[in-house]
Amino acid sequence: MKASLGYTLPSDRLRQKATVSIVVSLGLVFACIYMGFDPSMIFTEFHFVADLASNMMPPDFSLFWMDKTIVMAIVESLSMAFLGTVVGGVLALGLAVLAARDTMPFRGVRLVARFVMQIVRVIPYLVVILVFVATVGVGAFAGMLTLVFMTAGNFGQLFMETIEASEKAPAEAIYSVGASRGQVIRYALFPQILPGLIANLFYAFDVNLRTGIALGIFGGGGVGFQLYMAMRVLHYRDAFALICLTVLLIVLMERVCDLLRKRLLGKGILK
Amino acid sequence: MNTYSLRRYRKYLLPMGCMALLTWLSALGCGVHLASAWRTFGTSIGYFSGLLVPDWSAFSDLWGPALNSIFISVVGTFGGAVISLFFGLAAASNIAPPWLRQCTRFLLSLERALPEIVIVLFLVAAFGMGPSSGVLALVIGSIGMLGKLFADAIEELDMGSLDAIKAVGANRLQVMVYGVWHQIVPTVVSYTLLRFEWSIRLSVALGAVGAGGIGLELNRSFQLLDYHRCCSALILVLVIIVLSERGSEYLRKKVNVGGTLK
Amino acid sequence: MIEVCHISKSLPGGGKGPEGKSLPGGRKLLDDISFTVKKGEFVGILGASGAGKTLTLRCLNGLLKPDSGSILFNGQDICRAGKRQLRQLRERIGVVFQGNHLVKRLTALDNVLVGRLGQINTFRSLVYGFTDKEAAEAAKALEQVKVPQLASARAGSLSGGEMQRVAIARAIFQSPGLLLADEPISNLDPSNAKIIMKLIRPLAETMPVIGVFHQPDMTARYCTRVIALKEGRVVYDGSPHLSQEQLIDIYGEELRQIENQTYEHV
Repeated sequence: MKASLGYTLPSDRLRQKATVSIVVSLGLVFACIYMGFDPSMIFTEFHFVADLASNMMPPDFSLFWMDKTIVMAIVESLSMAFLGTVVGGVLALGLAVLAARDTMPFRGVRLVARFVMQIVRVIPYLVVILVFVATVGVGAFAGMLTLVFMTAGNFGQLFMETIEASEKAPAEAIYSVGASRGQVIRYALFPQILPGLIANLFYAFDVNLRTGIALGIFGGGGVGFQLYMAMRVLHYRDAFALICLTVLLIVLMERVCDLLRKRLLGKGILK
Repeated sequence: MNTYSLRRYRKYLLPMGCMALLTWLSALGCGVHLASAWRTFGTSIGYFSGLLVPDWSAFSDLWGPALNSIFISVVGTFGGAVISLFFGLAAASNIAPPWLRQCTRFLLSLERALPEIVIVLFLVAAFGMGPSSGVLALVIGSIGMLGKLFADAIEELDMGSLDAIKAVGANRLQVMVYGVWHQIVPTVVSYTLLRFEWSIRLSVALGAVGAGGIGLELNRSFQLLDYHRCCSALILVLVIIVLSERGSEYLRKKVNVGGTLK
Repeated sequence: MIEVCHISKSLPGGGKGPEGKSLPGGRKLLDDISFTVKKGEFVGILGASGAGKTLTLRCLNGLLKPDSGSILFNGQDICRAGKRQLRQLRERIGVVFQGNHLVKRLTALDNVLVGRLGQINTFRSLVYGFTDKEAAEAAKALEQVKVPQLASARAGSLSGGEMQRVAIARAIFQSPGLLLADEPISNLDPSNAKIIMKLIRPLAETMPVIGVFHQPDMTARYCTRVIALKEGRVVYDGSPHLSQEQLIDIYGEELRQIENQTYEHV
């Protein structure tokens, strides 16, 4: 059909489009039926949401000064995110240096490092938090360890790619004056990747803050834990207050990080 | 001045000191107890060795929940993408009036600040456990991210070709479809597929909170100390994640190179 | 036939002109412009930048509304047309822009088909697109512009000259009663420019063709009539062959200085 005319006939294309649409629609319908999800329930059962929402209003903010543990929870969440980012970032950098072709000449070490990163990245954080909770107990420590674990894996991969994508020319220049590998890394590589590194670390902090709250639900401590508990005992107004707090915290931290990052990268603190 | 002495590091003293202080405070805040953790770690790591050996018989009844998780992600991402298109149009400066754009962008950034887990908690409290809560949570959760990405893509459109389509007398709807839609299709598909990969990982955690699927099985078997079953569930999760990554990569290549219009 | 009757447009005080230069308030961008173009005429509009050429063309298409005056086409006044009327009028007016007006992801054939979007039912255009017969006609239009082999090529992969040809094919496919061209050859190299002019010329036999150009040599060779604008007013309307003096009058003193300079250097 196409060869003789030089273009596909609209009727053929219509047939193709129709087939794809039908297949996709059928697939979606099948998926819904299999799961037992009925999209119309959004409308028919909306009153549940309305009921819950009315139970949640007005949010009970008195929670914050009556119950000291909330302040502690905020501190926990922030600390978890901060420590997780810092320690995880250091580990990520270490792994990246071990795994990148430019910084590690020994293939064996590289393979091991990459393997470790792959494993760490693929394990869902649910398992990690459960293991840590069972090991070191419920609380922010378990959450922090999980965040360290995840940050090291995900950002290790990212940093490794950044290192491998950096320009080789400065490194060659410094090699040619007789510097050792360590010196080349310090003078040629680090200045190049440092701004990207710092930007990524801020991003990691944001991600870790959100994930930390999610982890709290599984026993990781912090605001997430409080939220889960509040929902569990049906203190919906407290829960809503906590949800508002969560959103506020995340948005606030986003702004602060933005500001800090601009100041830091703008001033050029490159060593 | 001798610029190579150690004195030049003095300007880093304050920031480094602050960092160290913050780190120490955070450690306190977390309740870090490294020494005791190290001790318990040694003993418990043997305990969890059961996690490394799967329960082969469990696979037969685990693939059902696994399929559930996949479907939750598919339907959730697809629904989210469709709705995000409208949000994206409303949040684009070249299509929407300024007041609408500001409102929508604000809503979108609010939504992005809500972790999906919290949304699921809310939905489970309203609708009860089950895949519906998971699907709805994914739909709502993806609106924030996809809505912003779509809006940005629409704002980067080449408005010139829209002028040409208007010049042949097409009405607004036709301009939208032939002008806007055909230009943003690859971007839309790319982002939706990326979001799908993300949704798969999310549905594991969401499942554990009550949305069903393999996440629920994972959590349950762990709490019930049936570590072999948990390992089987874990393996299935890995399989799903890898499959979704490959599938997404393949589809993204197809759309970008072949330009399949849908 | 299209009739332009005394259209004028002024800038409200302290605005910016089409080139972004800020203008003193109340400047007249178009000053009582009138002309009539009939079937069989290929009119080239010349003038210095800011003289009002593109503005006039945009008024002809309804993209711009003049402050006063009227433009009669098909018995209707484009300047007074409501939205729906305007759309109907536009179905019958083909426009070729300077560039950048094809949907890059669609094939050349699809871009030609777009020309009739105004003429077909909205529902049809969105749901199942065009018929095979229309596709064949579009292919014929592409043949007319001598690029039938590009029918299934993506518009984004075409060269500038090829894109302009597809744009002309789209205009042809519209079966318009009027063809407008806004600097169609300004972005093309000389050989492509000649090809495009050669393609536009025969179209004038079936409809009036009005084009804005920056190239007096091209208009001299291919147009049947030239209208020159200067500071918003028609200063010349007649034979496409303009003398050196007339050109300098249109484009201003700078042209004379530039011409003299070139010769001096050599």
